[in-house]
Amino acid sequence: MAVFADLDLRAGSDLKVLRGMVETAAHLGYSVVAINHVVDFKEKKQEIEKPVVVSELFTTLPIVQGKSRPIKILTRLTIIVTDPSHCNVLVACTHLDVDLVCITVTEKLPFYFKRPPVNVAIDRGLGFELVYSPAIKDSTMRRYTISNALNLMQICKGKNVIISSAAERPLEIRGPYDVANLGLLFGLSEVDAKAAVSTNCRAALLHGETRKTAFGIVSTVKKPRPSEGDDDSLPACKKAKCEG
Amino acid sequence: METGPYYFVKNLPLYELITHEFINTFVKKGSCYALTYNTNIDEDNTVALLPNGKLILSLDKDTYEETGLQGRPSQYSGRKIMKFIVSIDLMDLSFIMDSKKYERISWSLKEKKPLKFDFLLAWHQTGTEESVMMSYFSKYQIQEQQPKVAVSTLRDLQCPVLQSGELRGEAEASCSAPELFDWLGAVFCGVDPNNEPNNFISTYCCPQPSTVVEKAYLCTVTGFIVAEKICILLEQLCHYFDEPKLAPWVTLSVQGFADSPVSWRESEHGFQKGGEHLYTFVIFNNLDYWLQMAVGANDDCPP
Repeated sequence: MAVFADLDLRAGSDLKVLRGMVETAAHLGYSVVAINHVVDFKEKKQEIEKPVVVSELFTTLPIVQGKSRPIKILTRLTIIVTDPSHCNVLVACTHLDVDLVCITVTEKLPFYFKRPPVNVAIDRGLGFELVYSPAIKDSTMRRYTISNALNLMQICKGKNVIISSAAERPLEIRGPYDVANLGLLFGLSEVDAKAAVSTNCRAALLHGETRKTAFGIVSTVKKPRPSEGDDDSLPACKKAKCEG
Repeated sequence: METGPYYFVKNLPLYELITHEFINTFVKKGSCYALTYNTNIDEDNTVALLPNGKLILSLDKDTYEETGLQGRPSQYSGRKIMKFIVSIDLMDLSFIMDSKKYERISWSLKEKKPLKFDFLLAWHQTGTEESVMMSYFSKYQIQEQQPKVAVSTLRDLQCPVLQSGELRGEAEASCSAPELFDWLGAVFCGVDPNNEPNNFISTYCCPQPSTVVEKAYLCTVTGFIVAEKICILLEQLCHYFDEPKLAPWVTLSVQGFADSPVSWRESEHGFQKGGEHLYTFVIFNNLDYWLQMAVGANDDCPP
């Protein structure tokens, strides 16, 4: 099985809060976290802020509880797309070069999921993301979260779903087994719910890595400058597995 | 009673466990046990060495593909196969002679994908040789540790009444085996077996019929304990009833490591939401006994 991952920790302006969140995640047993920068394209020519540099955040990464390895921190960019016609959102996502489609929970979805675009998305390796921290904060959001999640499950049958916190504070993160139990409420089976916190997150990360490669099989690595003259070794080719 | 030392080695490369020297010194001369420490069976790679000489590697997909060893997919893997089990028999004769199989495994663990783990090791030697584990692994950080023993006396404890012949219990006369199992769990966790039905934390009550015992003795041994020592412990418990005693029964409960890749007899062990696998002997004063075995969700039934 893959390690537990939380792919959505909201990056605020306060580095201390972010540090607290990563430490809480390591203490709860997550081996991989991703710091999420959200960009809303309301105005044109908006600058995308620079991602947080991990070395600025921690000099020594916190060790994951129960293991001897430190936690792995990644960065992620989320773009909010507001289309005038909502029905085209999913069709657009099946053509756009993205890894995850986030299902909003702040309102009842104005459109129904259609099976053909969802199947196309699954074949392309896209994941569908559900967030649970709004459900912790507010009871109306809780209702919307569960109803939107159940709608999604009816169509996609639990494939390629990931569950993450959109946590802005350390108290909003929950342990991986608790999140897997939450997945049961969303309509996933036991095995799928555990995969939503581990295997599917790994698949989404690999999908992101393969965007830099040719068909996910061959990638290039910059050859270090040889110190001596004759160095006729072949450039390193790294084999990366493409996960669907 | 001494439950034997066990050893903790940090960052031991896996190929050290397949060298001819290790096999001849430890595996063949007694029962050698090893288990990786601080690895979760449902997330990471886990390795165990069984006393019958089998080395079981429970690897995730990436590691399995990188080592190139032959194995089978795990039973508890889910929709996509993410976990593989590789079993290497160290006592196999063809493994010992410098065969292609040995060379392949050796190359894979030494050069292709050198794996390193923190190991818990224990060795029960047949014969009177001294333990040489400390000196064998002296170039790695090896520490000798003793299992921790915690003893407590429980006063005025409510105990269920049992009859050795009646496994299912008799109405008003004795409790059934599953009720005893629940009660034992409550005692081991320190739960008060006498709660009100409207208690918020626990509504557990001791099964009826029950008696109140003035003093009960609870001894907990924590560590990497070999099976031979548990057999000795069991025999000593049986000898407890050599002289007539007030106690009607004693129990010995053994809990396996939650992150072990195997449970009984090499059947695979998984961790769904909990990785429990345990067995309990209940020994009565007429030397009848009950044996209860329990497994978690991702396990085969015990033999």
